[in-house]
Amino acid sequence: MTIAPELSDRVLTELADAIGGEHVLTSKTARYNRARVPAPFPVHRWPERVPDLVVLPGSTEEVAEVVRIANAHRIPIVPRDGGTGLTDGAVPEHRGIVVDVKRLNQIKEIDLENRTCTVGTGINALKLNEVLAEHGLIYPDDPASYPCSLVGGRIGTSGWSLVGSRYGHSRDLVLSFEFVLPTGKVIHLGDGGGRKISKSSSGYQLKHLFMGHQGTLGIATEATLKLFPKPEAELSPFWAFPDYDSAYRCVGQLARAGIATFAGAVLFDEWKVDYLRRDDEAYIPQPADVRALVCAVAYGYEDEVRAGGKRLLRIAKDCGARYLGDEISQGDWAARHDRYATPLHGRTRSGQVAPMSWHCEDAAINYTELPGVRLEWHAIVERLRARFDVFDDWGMFCYTSANTGVDYLTEIDIGIWEQELGDEAWAAWVDAKREIAAVALRAGGSISACHGSCREGEVDLVPLELGGGYDVMLDVKRAVDPNNIMNPGKYGLQRAYAAERGAGA
Amino acid sequence: MTEAPDHHHSPVTVEFLSDWRNASYNCFSSGHKFCREVCPVMQVTRNESWTPTAFHANVVAMEKGELTVEDVAEDYVNCTQCGACELRCPNTLFTGDFYRFRTRTVDLVKQMRALAVDNGVHQPGYQRWNQLTDERTHEPVLGEVPVSQEHVRDWSAGLDIPIGGETILFVDCEAAFYRTSVPRAVAQILQRAGVEFGLMREQWCCGGPAAEMGYRDQAKRFAEHNLADWRASGVKRVLVLDPHDYITFTEDYPAYFGEDYEIEVVLVVELLAKLITEGKLTPEIPIERTITYHDPCRLNKRKGVWQEPRQILRSIPGLTFNDVDRVTQWSYCSGGGGGLPVEKPELTAKISENRLAKAAELEVDTLVSACPWSERPLSAAGEAHRIDVVDIHELLAESLGIEVGGSRGA
Ligand SMILES: Cc1cc2nc3c(=O)[nH]c(=O)nc-3n(C[C@H](O)[C@H](O)[C@H](O)COP(=O)(O)OP(=O)(O)OC[C@H]3O[C@@H](n4cnc5c(N)ncnc54)[C@H](O)[C@@H]3O)c2cc1C
Ligand code: SF4
Ligand code: SF4
Repeated sequence: MTIAPELSDRVLTELADAIGGEHVLTSKTARYNRARVPAPFPVHRWPERVPDLVVLPGSTEEVAEVVRIANAHRIPIVPRDGGTGLTDGAVPEHRGIVVDVKRLNQIKEIDLENRTCTVGTGINALKLNEVLAEHGLIYPDDPASYPCSLVGGRIGTSGWSLVGSRYGHSRDLVLSFEFVLPTGKVIHLGDGGGRKISKSSSGYQLKHLFMGHQGTLGIATEATLKLFPKPEAELSPFWAFPDYDSAYRCVGQLARAGIATFAGAVLFDEWKVDYLRRDDEAYIPQPADVRALVCAVAYGYEDEVRAGGKRLLRIAKDCGARYLGDEISQGDWAARHDRYATPLHGRTRSGQVAPMSWHCEDAAINYTELPGVRLEWHAIVERLRARFDVFDDWGMFCYTSANTGVDYLTEIDIGIWEQELGDEAWAAWVDAKREIAAVALRAGGSISACHGSCREGEVDLVPLELGGGYDVMLDVKRAVDPNNIMNPGKYGLQRAYAAERGAGA
Repeated sequence: MTEAPDHHHSPVTVEFLSDWRNASYNCFSSGHKFCREVCPVMQVTRNESWTPTAFHANVVAMEKGELTVEDVAEDYVNCTQCGACELRCPNTLFTGDFYRFRTRTVDLVKQMRALAVDNGVHQPGYQRWNQLTDERTHEPVLGEVPVSQEHVRDWSAGLDIPIGGETILFVDCEAAFYRTSVPRAVAQILQRAGVEFGLMREQWCCGGPAAEMGYRDQAKRFAEHNLADWRASGVKRVLVLDPHDYITFTEDYPAYFGEDYEIEVVLVVELLAKLITEGKLTPEIPIERTITYHDPCRLNKRKGVWQEPRQILRSIPGLTFNDVDRVTQWSYCSGGGGGLPVEKPELTAKISENRLAKAAELEVDTLVSACPWSERPLSAAGEAHRIDVVDIHELLAESLGIEVGGSRGA
């Protein structure tokens, strides 16, 4: 494995010459604050992840220059964008240089005829949509982190969008991008060679390979995105159910109905409803006999949304749903982004309120497997809670991943009282993560539908999930990044170099 | 290699850390940075070290012994204390009432700057600024303007305003010495409406800027002086035209003086809106301008005052008002507050430029503000866009047929 040499003055000078001294940050605060993402890596181990320095390049050429310098000196590089990723992707495991791309946030072109825009990867979708709105357009990549994640991080994680059943997810919405390889070479990746092509069959489909790699294959600097008409109407009905099973049946039927304006459906299980009732101020309280909630969302023109909506409401009614009314529906759906990660919501077993961090495990699970996975996951967390009083079960969501309802983003949210988290509890948590991932695999699912799986725990199971595909990953990694400078350690990819050097994995 | 933690914080630092430990952890533990894109400093620097979440995270790292006051102090310059991040933070939006907790980034920045000063860590610009303020009893007001007790009432030349009385008008340093057209407009409008008021006998700077930059003792000394002066001349009510003073008098002074602080503080913009509603002022002369309104951070975001200025503007005939809703304006700032222009004038300029670019999109010829401290940087940025920056009081005076006089700056 490559190790960073001490960063010499020579490297600093080269970097400063390449991008300007004020964009090379060496202060402790700059470095500590680039060693942080929302979900806890135990705070007492924060210093283990601190990079040696941070650079803020301002263009593709500058990124390429930084990468060339790092490659020449064999210094690890970690791409960082919003820093909202939940698997530590943007946090260094082996120090080195954090390449923070937030300054690449220009809108370079809005092509009204072909319905695309080209942006720097440091831009945020919410900010982009403020500009697109003037043209009646929208870029519909809408994660719950919509106000804070940035386009480069969406490419780095191949993120998942709440309204993906209608518009697709990041991988479908990003048509092509400019990409700096670990050697510093700049290439363009998309379907075929074009910049604004959505479907091509010439060559390998490299676009997918270079998305979701968590910064292990290079750095995306500029992206061309697909745009849609800004929806004229939105319908977001919320329904209450007396039990999980009927809510589960309902979600399946909504998703399978094939309604064109259908953009997604969510199911909150009993644990989630209890948590919301207990601790979520934005949640509009429901009577105690409400045990599960379903919401759907549809986007489109007024007339088509109204027609499709009627059908959605009818389906839900037939499943025994109680419609919660327009006010609750609109309010709760509007709160969907902010509902995540409000702290102070954790409770110890005795009910004491404690400031807790949000940790969410996500997986892609087929519809038929959802009920089983759910019970197994809650049981794992329950066992953990019995041993340590720093964990809380905040319940589960599942969201449609596709317009046919084949699979679901399934997530369990766990509160962790990080201030009190010691090594023993952390180790138990890492074990629990491994178990959670194993359940997903046994059910024929994937460890992650959205965040990736680079973290201690689930990362160990990636080779198992991918089977022989993982060996191809190792080959690709070695071929693209001969010196293992890109985000070393992530996805266990150091293994790609071990054989070559005759050292152990 | 990990860096050796330093556990030797000074006693004031230890106390500070115990006060802020949980509040900072509450942000650290969510760490989602919903606040980030509304932060004006972030918008122009894209530097994650200068965001609300970093400001909180530093405290956590200090508490863990990883960072010291010396390490962090300089970063806290990069904040205009506009309050946008607080409004955007889910902790404020959702858990604020439930747990009586809201994210207090503005307060944290203020306290951290004070902690630095208490530890003998100074920012050169702030130190000089506050020293000059101390010597002259007024802020030096950037540039060559003569600033002193002898000149503090110069702006009112020829207006015949008495000294003292139950109600006095307090004029901030920037308006009193630099943009004198603003207090002149205010005074004449009030006179027109028959509002009786005087000026202070000996007015010192309100002390707010010193408090914002961390010079707590000086801030309090100035406050004590002003309160003593008010009391000695029987003042019951202070009219304030500057949003910064308004914050100082309604937040800092009560914190210093507690129950003993018996002064009523009236924001002029609110008073004028009321006088218009009551028919005591009727703007009649049409002003043919296409305007938009810049919500000063300290009014809209920090005090929730956004309706009254719009009410005034809507009462002025002839104006075409291309308004932007107040929530969108949460991400706008002039860059002129929180001492930023003292240490980082180039950032202030970029933030103002951003603000003017937004105004330009609305195809206006005039940007109306209600905060003298915003007007200098906004005017400078306005030149490139051919957008005139006018104070709301000036505009109202014009529509009332008042010949304002005074200086609108260089
Ligand atoms: C409150 C909250 C809600 C969330 N909800 C969702 C959700 O609904 N759906 C979802 O998908 N995710 C969600 N996430 C997770 C997170 O927002 C996503 O993973 C997002 O894609 C990360 O984007 P970022 O800009 O913050 O990237 P970062 O965290 O900076 O980086 C993420 C990964 O991408 C790599 N990377 C960053 N920039 C580049 C680049 N330019 N080129 C190559 N690689 C790069 C990094 O090295 C890292 O491995 C949520 C997070 C939070 C805090
Ligand atoms: S200030 Fe609020 S929005 Fe910003 S990171 Fe902290 S908790 Fe999140
Ligand atoms: S108060 Fe304003 S300038 Fe300061 S951190 Fe918050 S948003 Fe940024």
